[in-house]
Amino acid sequence: MLRVEEVYKSFDGFMAVNRASLHVGRGQIVAVIGPNGAGKTTLFNLITGQLTPDRGRIFFEEQDITRLPPFAICRRGIARSFQIANVFPRLTVFTNVQVSVLSQQNKSGKLFRPATNMAIKETYDILEHVGLSDKAQHLAGSLSHGDQRILEIAIALGNKPNLLILDEPTAGMSPEETKRTMDLIKGLAQVRNLTILFCEHDMDIVFDVAQSIMVMHHGSTLIQGTPQEVRENKEVQEAYLGGEDA
Amino acid sequence: MEAAHAVTFAALGSHLLVGLSRAMILFIVSSGLSFVLGVLRVPNVAHGSLYMIGAFSAYTVFTAVGGQTGFWLALVLAPLVVAAVSFVAERSLFCRLYEREHLMLLLFTFALMLILDDLVKIIWGADYRSIMAPDYFKGSVNIFGSSFPKYNLFLLAAGPVVAVGLWLFTNRTKIGKIARAAAVDREMVGAVGINVSWVFAFAFVLGCFLAGLGGALVAPTVSITLGMDHDIIIEAFLIVTIGGLGNMWGAMVGSLIFGITQSFGVLLWPQFAIVFPYAAVVIVLLARPTGLLKSVW
Amino acid sequence: MADTNKKTLLLSTVLFIALLVVPAILPRFYTYIIASIFVTALLAMSLNLVVGYGGLYQFHHCAFYGVSAYTVALLITKAHVPYWVAFGAGPIAGAIVGYLIGWFCVRLSKLYFGMLQISLGSLIWALAFRWYSLTGGDDGIHGIPVPDFISSTKSSYYFILIVLTISLILMYIIIKSPFGTTLQATRDNPERCEAVGINVRKHQLVALVISTFFAGVSGVLYVILEQSVFPDLLFWVLSLEVFIMCLLGGWFTFAGPIIGAAMMVSLRTFVGVYTEYWTLVLGVLLILLIFFLPEGIMGFFLEKFGAKAPTEDHGGQH
Repeated sequence: MLRVEEVYKSFDGFMAVNRASLHVGRGQIVAVIGPNGAGKTTLFNLITGQLTPDRGRIFFEEQDITRLPPFAICRRGIARSFQIANVFPRLTVFTNVQVSVLSQQNKSGKLFRPATNMAIKETYDILEHVGLSDKAQHLAGSLSHGDQRILEIAIALGNKPNLLILDEPTAGMSPEETKRTMDLIKGLAQVRNLTILFCEHDMDIVFDVAQSIMVMHHGSTLIQGTPQEVRENKEVQEAYLGGEDA
Repeated sequence: MEAAHAVTFAALGSHLLVGLSRAMILFIVSSGLSFVLGVLRVPNVAHGSLYMIGAFSAYTVFTAVGGQTGFWLALVLAPLVVAAVSFVAERSLFCRLYEREHLMLLLFTFALMLILDDLVKIIWGADYRSIMAPDYFKGSVNIFGSSFPKYNLFLLAAGPVVAVGLWLFTNRTKIGKIARAAAVDREMVGAVGINVSWVFAFAFVLGCFLAGLGGALVAPTVSITLGMDHDIIIEAFLIVTIGGLGNMWGAMVGSLIFGITQSFGVLLWPQFAIVFPYAAVVIVLLARPTGLLKSVW
Repeated sequence: MADTNKKTLLLSTVLFIALLVVPAILPRFYTYIIASIFVTALLAMSLNLVVGYGGLYQFHHCAFYGVSAYTVALLITKAHVPYWVAFGAGPIAGAIVGYLIGWFCVRLSKLYFGMLQISLGSLIWALAFRWYSLTGGDDGIHGIPVPDFISSTKSSYYFILIVLTISLILMYIIIKSPFGTTLQATRDNPERCEAVGINVRKHQLVALVISTFFAGVSGVLYVILEQSVFPDLLFWVLSLEVFIMCLLGGWFTFAGPIIGAAMMVSLRTFVGVYTEYWTLVLGVLLILLIFFLPEGIMGFFLEKFGAKAPTEDHGGQH
């Protein structure tokens, strides 16, 4: 479904992503792991168009999306959440998700119909699903950090994506919140038939949830394989897991 | 034919010099604006009014003392008057707004502009004023076969002196370095235990001082009058923008572009001379959307 | 929430009816001043569409107002086209120039957006100011004829009131539409908007065209009221004033800019009678506002009376 072929990206001479490749099959849950600064977020930004790779190509559904702007990539069915809570703070929780649903329904440009009557059901379905419906009329900026992260995922769902990309969905969350979020993500994959690509620090989560794991180190892909393969890989153990596994 | 060529060449030369000396005034004013913008992140709309106060103060000092001494004293005292005015405004009111919404700061400087403009009207009235440069700056010298006012040569020297002074100040003195660091990363400066509020006060007053200095320097070449702030403020803003917000050398580059296109505009198409510098700004911004030199923003 | 909506509707209707009887009871001078407030209010409202709701640094909004006013003036006095054609051409000219300038500006961010707009707008001002043979230069154009039935103060007042009301309703509908909601989202977080499939620049550009169209409508009304145009209409000082009106009244509220405009115009008129230093009074007043009513006047009242700001109160009912 998604194929990243040997992409490179440098900032002022620093190779943030240095020949990374990735393969995501339909219906899979794929994790990208790697130490801080391995280039995971940069890789995600390259896929969703916030950044453009210096070299290499990215295919989605067999179509080249390498140089498309973010909104065009989103239209093709890739939605994402960001590492820092990235919501619309002055709008209500409801409107946050509604904006995304309206965009997906191609109604963002409608000028003369009241927005209050549009996309109500779809929006509430999503809020219901992620458990934020009781806070629908709160301002997004007033939510707790954990709820803002959930809202982020809800906004991404509003796009009815085929592929959902989550950048450290549980960063900064308490253990309970983390568990709740991971259950939510697993549920989403089943109920909404989603393909999910995410990166995460917590190895337990990764090996618990992911069907395929890609390991990044200094901006390069070390290996992509099943959790079992990754666990047994010598290179990975040396570069990354070594200390923790022992 | 040859004569025509000679005239054109002479005209080009003298317009270049006029443009350059205009650029020096623009630089002195806009570098002050740029400094405030860099450190406080506030477009100080009242900057032009302070420039005007500089010119009027220079007039008052000059008429009170007179002659050569009066001129030099005016150059020294007028910027100090402006600095004092800005210090009072900053410490009494402005400094209480730093934590607030950014547009509130803009609104404040607008209010300050309204108040200062009317104060100028109350103190100096609506008449046209002028001051005279000392005798040795009067008259013209012959450059490129055309006459060029001596005072403009003085301005040509003053600009680089201010530039070097400002550079030394921000690179060699402690307070200057702190102010520069605050422009780049204010949290860090606060974190190492420096009172950021006083750094801001200092930067604001220094920026306004430069506006006053510009006003005092320009005074002998123009008629000093209400409304002289309107042109300079917009020009200074545009200069700072095309140069790169908060970048002092950017202010210099921007001033040169503005001053020279302005004076060549007069040569090429006098009726629409004012169009040229604006067009230059448009071209620069389209080619380099964040200014020519590195912005501190 | 439905309750506050009803209250607002009732209040607006009462206000509208009150304004209808104004010319009958107040002297001509006051009728003129209120009409002048209407024109300025529409200008400020149109600006707030992109400043308050779109978060754009629209620093030279008057350029579009002036372009429209000059278009009307020139079409009537030089081209002698029918009035209604000229009146229609004004806003369209404003929107076209808005599109052209906006097309360049949306590529730049924040302050650079504003500065590029000031440069481009000042180019237009310079043309109007120096092109004596066409625009009359700094004298402007005076004695522009308008149709008889709106040439008196009273009749122009009614015409302006009706056009203003229609424009306000249209703007309100637009703000409440998906377009308006999305516009606020682009203001709050353009990056996130891109990531949910919104073409932010295009959205902003459409907002600019709408905003400059209404600025153009305001320009037409100005010509009808004053029957003259002059280059100050295009000067950046006026743009700054209008910007301040939005901040003054409260730029996150729908009606805020109207209050701001009413304050500025009445200050200039009534304080101007007593002292030539009315801007000093305005300056002091502004400083008091900054320190005591930071949300703007309208924001203050909304907070006080418990109604939510319009940016917050849409989003559907259960």
